[in-house]
Amino acid sequence: MQFEKVPGQLLTIINQVHDLEKKLLKMENSRPLARNLNRIRDQFAEMGIKYHNPLGQPYNETRTDCEATISGTTTQNLVISEVIKPIITQEFEGMPHIIQKAVVIVEGN
Amino acid sequence: MINFGIDLGTTNSAIAKFEKGKVEIFRNPISLKQTLPSVIAFRKNRIIVGDKAREYLEKDPNNVVGLFKRKMGTSETYLIESTGDFMTPINLSAYVLKELKNFIHTGEQINAAVVTIPASFDTIQSNATKKAGYEAGFDEVVLLQEPIAASLAYANKEEDGKFEEGMWLVYDLGGGTFDVALVKIKEGEMKIIDHEGDNFLGGTDFDKEIVEKLVIPYLESEGKFENLEQELKSAAGKYNKLYQVLLHKAEEAKVILSNATSTEIEFEATDDNGKEIEGFLTIERQQFENILAPFVDKTAKMITEMLERNSIEQSAINFVLMVGGSTYIPYVRERIGNQLSIAVNCNIDPTTAVALGAAYYAGTKPMKRKQEVPAITGDSTGPRISIKTGYQKSTQDEEEVLVAQVDGDITGLFYRIIRQDGGFDSGLKPLTTRINEELPLLKNSYNYFNLNVYDDKNNQVATDVQVIGITQGRYSVAGQPLPNDICLEIDDIESGQTALDIVFEKNAILPTKRTIIKEVINTIKKGSDDKITINVVEGPSYALPSANQPIGFITISGKELERDLIKGSDVEVTLEMSESRDLKINAFLMLTNQEFENVFTPSERHVNVTRLNDELVVLLEKLNAEIQEAEIMEDYRTAQELINLKTEMRSLIIKSKKLTEDDITDEKFQIEDQKRKAALLIDSLTSDKRINAIKMEYFETKKDVQWVIERYDGSEAEKSALEHIINKEKSFLASNSPLRIKEFTEKLYELRGKVRWRDPEYVISLFYYFASKQDEFTDKQKGAEVIKVGEKAIEEEKYDKLRVHVNQLYSLLPEEKKITELKGGTGIG
Repeated sequence: MQFEKVPGQLLTIINQVHDLEKKLLKMENSRPLARNLNRIRDQFAEMGIKYHNPLGQPYNETRTDCEATISGTTTQNLVISEVIKPIITQEFEGMPHIIQKAVVIVEGN
Repeated sequence: MINFGIDLGTTNSAIAKFEKGKVEIFRNPISLKQTLPSVIAFRKNRIIVGDKAREYLEKDPNNVVGLFKRKMGTSETYLIESTGDFMTPINLSAYVLKELKNFIHTGEQINAAVVTIPASFDTIQSNATKKAGYEAGFDEVVLLQEPIAASLAYANKEEDGKFEEGMWLVYDLGGGTFDVALVKIKEGEMKIIDHEGDNFLGGTDFDKEIVEKLVIPYLESEGKFENLEQELKSAAGKYNKLYQVLLHKAEEAKVILSNATSTEIEFEATDDNGKEIEGFLTIERQQFENILAPFVDKTAKMITEMLERNSIEQSAINFVLMVGGSTYIPYVRERIGNQLSIAVNCNIDPTTAVALGAAYYAGTKPMKRKQEVPAITGDSTGPRISIKTGYQKSTQDEEEVLVAQVDGDITGLFYRIIRQDGGFDSGLKPLTTRINEELPLLKNSYNYFNLNVYDDKNNQVATDVQVIGITQGRYSVAGQPLPNDICLEIDDIESGQTALDIVFEKNAILPTKRTIIKEVINTIKKGSDDKITINVVEGPSYALPSANQPIGFITISGKELERDLIKGSDVEVTLEMSESRDLKINAFLMLTNQEFENVFTPSERHVNVTRLNDELVVLLEKLNAEIQEAEIMEDYRTAQELINLKTEMRSLIIKSKKLTEDDITDEKFQIEDQKRKAALLIDSLTSDKRINAIKMEYFETKKDVQWVIERYDGSEAEKSALEHIINKEKSFLASNSPLRIKEFTEKLYELRGKVRWRDPEYVISLFYYFASKQDEFTDKQKGAEVIKVGEKAIEEEKYDKLRVHVNQLYSLLPEEKKITELKGGTGIG
């Protein structure tokens, strides 16, 4: 692949923005902050970089977009219950490519 | 030569290739890591090797196997619950070796490899490893002890490529295991004298200790917990999920503390009484080192005991060679050096050293049998296997079913489907005459999948199947495409006119939404009549703004402001268009925290009378300028057509001036229509000239950048940046949008400056150029000082310093007062 490598620092910034978004969900009256975060997200998208929080999605061993740790005792009907880092993709020639897998905790549903 | 080297590790494996004196460590095409966890999962009918299998290792032990290397050469077998099969450590090791073949991106197949084994392996264990190699499809397997491989990696890194006679230790501390070997070289022969190890000591123990010794006491002090440790560690415990999060955070802290003196662990928890705890724990490096000390001391003790039993003084050891990921930790290196009083050698990459050394060795070992390297197994008559696929090529669902009919001899064959972005891997599945697979899709994307067939040695088998392409969400059946570009009118400071910034391109699918940020060009005082206008028009983005159909606008005047809107502050403009083409414009002033919104429906037309007047005046001025230019260029035909238009324009201006803002007649719409037609005519008569000039500038700059990159040995990144622009050339030139073409020309200018910045002559010329502007500096005394030291830097040929001085001079120049007032402008740009 020929696309330009995204510097590690940029991934760290995106992970921090993702953490802010997570915290924001728990806050009341978060609209003014959400606007700034959406703007940051839009700017990343303009650069061809998108991030995605897979919280609540089903999980199984074919999902290579996440690095998972299984919590609890079952490995059936797993669902992503905690997202430590989001999935980050970079667009190249019109197609997204994963440049950071999500780090997630999964649990039986 | 054999050339391929494989580190078949207890916890992780890796593959490398020697070629022309260098070694390449291959990466996993799915995870892009250089290592593959030595873990195999048999989940339903899939075989999965590596990272995904390791995730299930602890929680599904009946179907997932790891650490089997410890059982090599024993009669122990593993019963796999899902398949009912018994697997030997040899079978399992063969799966790892077969998976490593997939790492080889060059497409070549390997028939021979050097495979490493621990120093502790006896003949039976060594033969079992060879057998695993044969089972994986290698005709020839050469074994090499891991400490020797690491030593070779080091030896090849040294300039002379040789070791002096003597002894050294190879200290291998990985994620879960520890090994140490005493290596000797005599008369050119490298040999292991003794070795020692602990199969249950490694980096993951450090993570667990951080949680146990630091985080748990912290949690207990912040909230109320009954049996916290058990509830965390037990799989069924109520805090097990928190435990997994904390282990991740502890691992991150461990990595940071290798470079920093302190770090923070941040997490959220809820105690037994439902109280929420915002965990924020600072860990000092000293605390971390106190945790490590007993573990590292244990390894040092093993080494001293090993040396004692061989009657070797520590002073006889030349150095300790550090291998394994946990030796990245500075404290491990320091403590071992201090405890043993032996120099520590950290000159090789500890995670890949064994594979690297194995490849160097493989580069010197000739193959016994001649290697046949068919790219992909098949025969001259064509592919062995024919596959017909059926699937929906465009969908709104997040999953699509792939159905395939397979013809040919499928005995002993497997298939595997991988999504090209790296987000899905079906694992290896037995090939049947009919394939039915659910493929998860990335939203609003083109999804491409490769379906490959493999034989039982994991060699790829030729088929006629094409790449599977499914589009998710991009082309909605219900959604209708836009017939024209939708643009925002903005001020173009350079030309002193307004220009169009494309927001939604023609053929974009509705509904659609986009937010763009623009700057306020002039300060708007609170309470004043000054204003900014968000004007949205429909029509080609390359046309003159007034030639397009206005479809909605918002005007914000100083009277509506809660405070002054300062020049350069941001306006966030969100345009949203519904399927029925209702347009919602939302403008948010970041500085004043004010929001303005308006919705326009296509059945209504909106004409702003003040704006119409301004536009007519600007259009007339433009018309005059174009007439003059056409006359200078002796293009009398165009000039005459434009002159004919002038009379009409004048009468429109007179009519328009008579309109009031609340005019209820149709006249403003008629004037607006006529204005648009006039603008279109001017545009069609003159646009070729404008666009051609802009395109010419782009091509000339491109040529210049190509020359500069060649002349000044541009880096790979710079070459790729140029290539990136050229790749997009077709699309932005075809858009005929002046703004878009200018944007890329601007990128070329930046690139040229970046490359030339390395050239001392260029920096010197820049220096003198800025120095010649001395009279304009904001601080003339400082300017004189900088020029003095700059001249000295030129004399001493210290160009790095000179670059700093050039920047200093540049910063002393006053900000050029560009066009601050734009007649009839929008106030944003």
